[in-house]
Amino acid sequence: MLKIELGAQGAVIIEGRLDAAQAATAQAFLDGVAGTVVLDCTALEYLSSAGLGVLLKTQKRLRAASGALRLTGVNRHVHDIFRYAGFDQIFEIVPAP
Amino acid sequence: MTLACAFPPRFDALAELVAFTAAAFAQEGIDDSLRTVADFALEELFTNVVKYGRTEADVQIELRAIPGGFEACLAAEGVADFDVTRAPEADVDLPLEQRRPGGLGLQLTRQMVDSIEYEYQVTQRRSRVTFRKVLA
Repeated sequence: MLKIELGAQGAVIIEGRLDAAQAATAQAFLDGVAGTVVLDCTALEYLSSAGLGVLLKTQKRLRAASGALRLTGVNRHVHDIFRYAGFDQIFEIVPAP
Repeated sequence: MTLACAFPPRFDALAELVAFTAAAFAQEGIDDSLRTVADFALEELFTNVVKYGRTEADVQIELRAIPGGFEACLAAEGVADFDVTRAPEADVDLPLEQRRPGGLGLQLTRQMVDSIEYEYQVTQRRSRVTFRKVLA
């Protein structure tokens, strides 16, 4: 299951599994954000290539409007996937506060 | 012991697939740190069948423990011959502007597992992918 919502500090909080079955839910939410957005991945357990597609589409849209998607709290699995995919070069990964 | 289960070729079957993998890992005593690799590879191979397989036949998945890790197999019937071990690689060094969604799943799967093999039976239009992962 996946839960995605706007947190109290203005970050987008994503929890659970961002897989092919949940990609449309995540995309629908992220299509509504603007500017520079922090995506809190502390509770994101799992990411597949479908999830990478969601994040890529969002990053391209935000960057085209001078914004960005920044990630924080990524676990080892998500970080490995980012590294294998070269996404660590096109996303800013902010250390968790 | 080999554990097996069949899943309809639909995205909403992924939750059942994840549950099967979790149960198989627990039952067979496979190190849980390897489960994300199993989940990732099985999802990518399964969704490849869902998106491009054009079959309504259930996808068969098997999982078993091997020394230090696991071996998993995914078999699909009524599908075209597409060797997932030879799928073209995406350029992961492209700048953001030139990136396009898609094409990464099979490539990342090949990177994450230790070995992967593809077989195809023409008469049954049956593909079978076997992969393994053990603790480093």
